[in-house]
Amino acid sequence: MNLLPSSASLIEKAARATPPSFVGKVRGLSDKAIAWIFIAPTLLLLLAINIFPLIWTIQLSFTNYRANRPNAPLRDVGLAHYNEILTNPDIWAAMQVTARFVIASIVIQTVLGFLLAWLIDRKFRGSGFLTTMILLPMMLSPAVVGNFWTFLYQPQIGLFNYIVAFVTGIPPSSFQMLGDVNLSPWAIVLVDSWMWTPYVMLICLAGLRSIPDYIYEAAEVDRASKWRQFWTITLPMAMPFIMLAVLFRGIENFKMFDMVNLLTGGGPGSTTEVASITLKREAFEKWRTGYSSAFAIILFVTVFGLANIYVRALNRVKSR
Amino acid sequence: MAEVVLEGVSKRFKENVAVDDLSLTISDGEFVVLLGPTGVGKTTTLRLIAGLEQVDGGKVLIGGEDATHAEPAERDTAFVFQQYSLYPHLTVYDNLAFPLRSPLRGLAEAEIRRRVSEVASMLRIDDKLSNPATRLSGGQMQRVAIGRALVRRPNIYLMDEPLSSLDAKLRSDLRLELKRIQNDMGATILYVTHDQIEAMTMASRIGVMDAGKLVQIGTPREIYENPLSTYVAARLGQPAINLLPRALLGDLPVPPGTATIGARTEHVRLTKANGAPRGIAGTINWIEHLGDHNHLHVAVGDADIVTLADPDSGLGVGDLVSIEFARPLFFGASGMRISG
Ligand SMILES: Nc1ncnc2c1ncn2[C@@H]1O[C@H](COP(=O)(O)OP(=O)(O)OP(=O)(O)O)[C@@H](O)[C@H]1O
Ligand SMILES: [Mg+2]
Repeated sequence: MNLLPSSASLIEKAARATPPSFVGKVRGLSDKAIAWIFIAPTLLLLLAINIFPLIWTIQLSFTNYRANRPNAPLRDVGLAHYNEILTNPDIWAAMQVTARFVIASIVIQTVLGFLLAWLIDRKFRGSGFLTTMILLPMMLSPAVVGNFWTFLYQPQIGLFNYIVAFVTGIPPSSFQMLGDVNLSPWAIVLVDSWMWTPYVMLICLAGLRSIPDYIYEAAEVDRASKWRQFWTITLPMAMPFIMLAVLFRGIENFKMFDMVNLLTGGGPGSTTEVASITLKREAFEKWRTGYSSAFAIILFVTVFGLANIYVRALNRVKSR
Repeated sequence: MAEVVLEGVSKRFKENVAVDDLSLTISDGEFVVLLGPTGVGKTTTLRLIAGLEQVDGGKVLIGGEDATHAEPAERDTAFVFQQYSLYPHLTVYDNLAFPLRSPLRGLAEAEIRRRVSEVASMLRIDDKLSNPATRLSGGQMQRVAIGRALVRRPNIYLMDEPLSSLDAKLRSDLRLELKRIQNDMGATILYVTHDQIEAMTMASRIGVMDAGKLVQIGTPREIYENPLSTYVAARLGQPAINLLPRALLGDLPVPPGTATIGARTEHVRLTKANGAPRGIAGTINWIEHLGDHNHLHVAVGDADIVTLADPDSGLGVGDLVSIEFARPLFFGASGMRISG
């Protein structure tokens, strides 16, 4: 992914940014050496908590290792796990659930988030306070949100069912958001959107604020209607920001685990079993560590590949 | 094209009065140039006509109709902004086509293409049509901004220093081109510039602004030859008019009340003084060589008079000269003109 420049070029940039010879004189070290010393702790930490586990996971994915039987003889199984995963219909089902989940929440969050940003962008009294209120859900921990919504979704005592009943007239205990095969995916999408639409709004707001007023003035004089201004100026100029929000939310939703785990645990049946839930079941219920390592690698490569294609598209839009 | 009338228009930004009770009539087909130092309210005047600012007082009439509270789109003006204001995400072609694609106009795409390429070739940006608007030099951006106005046939063109960042050659070409367009189409233009040549050559009338007020308006000749005050006199002339305190000039006959005497550089006559100089005496202390002519700086007392001279006038630094004024202008203590 081209999101980060390589560490070597970062170091070179840092070295160039340092006033020449200032530090060099003090200790007789070159600027470049100083730069390395400054970033070494971060690099080591990254290596320890990201790179090393990744390499280890790749290694395990070719073995029959089980974490609950660490002393069992280790056998090299080659690509057998990968073969099994890619031909397993359950895995494909989980991938489809994940994809649907990702697409639904991205569409909802982007449309709503952009709309909110667009409304809040025109300064009015109390817009600052309103922004803070809207941003609150985002600041909560997913665990809190998960538990909180589990209560709201309670058929007998939950506020959600009560409000739906109040608005539509259906008796509150006649439906279960989390227990129903058709409703539970939407229950999760709803909670995720409740929590993360503000985040998308924030990024879109940055985009809208980046459009200078004089562009709109030129458009006014050029007799473009507000409608046309929106489609030919506001939307295209905010597009890189919108796409960035979609990228962040897409990656997050692809890996989404805690909220689903708390709300439905993948059920009912396997209707909300997204890939990360499957992964958890294989790894920590069936203890097939090697197999789940292979699955994790496949997921990683998928996200990485998709994000890479997407970032390229994003760069094309940005450089227009 | 239409007549545009400002009737006692005022605009305040908080405490700051940008335009102060300004009245101005720009006749249909007229080319009016606004002149004045920075911050006197030239841009604000243009923005008030375009409807980008709302007046605090007075009226704006466009084509005889009261447009004081009309939306910018209803006023149908074209604006060349001082800071270009191109649409950064569009190509040069789309920037030029943008105003034509307004549904209010309903032009066919072929007609749009014809007008865009016509204007682009006139402004010599036809090879840049597919460039993104951000990948242009300052002068190219400025030409796109001019083009975006010229593709239209508005009630009035409002141009805010449109040629300021072009090179001398292109500037003089476009000056002629704009003047030609104005003659051919009978365009009404209100034009802001700091450039004397632009003001003198293009304007039907020049309006001089001071602190939000229009202090004098007239043909370029009137403004140049009959300025109402030292302020107006100093706006035109390169180098600027010599403004000399009365006391400096001894027994020169002047109308009563004169405090300052104005002499344009070309109206200062120098003769080499052999022995005792007649009239006003001075010493040449500096010569600027400009090729086709020279600027002579003459010290008279502690003032510095600038004059034009032929390169082969025979005068040199250190020469003692006597000075005569061909058509002096007399100003009172307040800076206002005294006819003499
Ligand atoms: N949006 C604004 N808010 C506050 N004050 C403003 C605003 N626009 C202009 N002014 C003030 O109004 C006065 C006139 O400004 P204006 O831009 O019309 O000057 P100008 O004659 O165009 O100057 P220049 O030759 O530098 O472009 C200035 O004192 C300026 O500070
Ligand atoms: Mg200005």
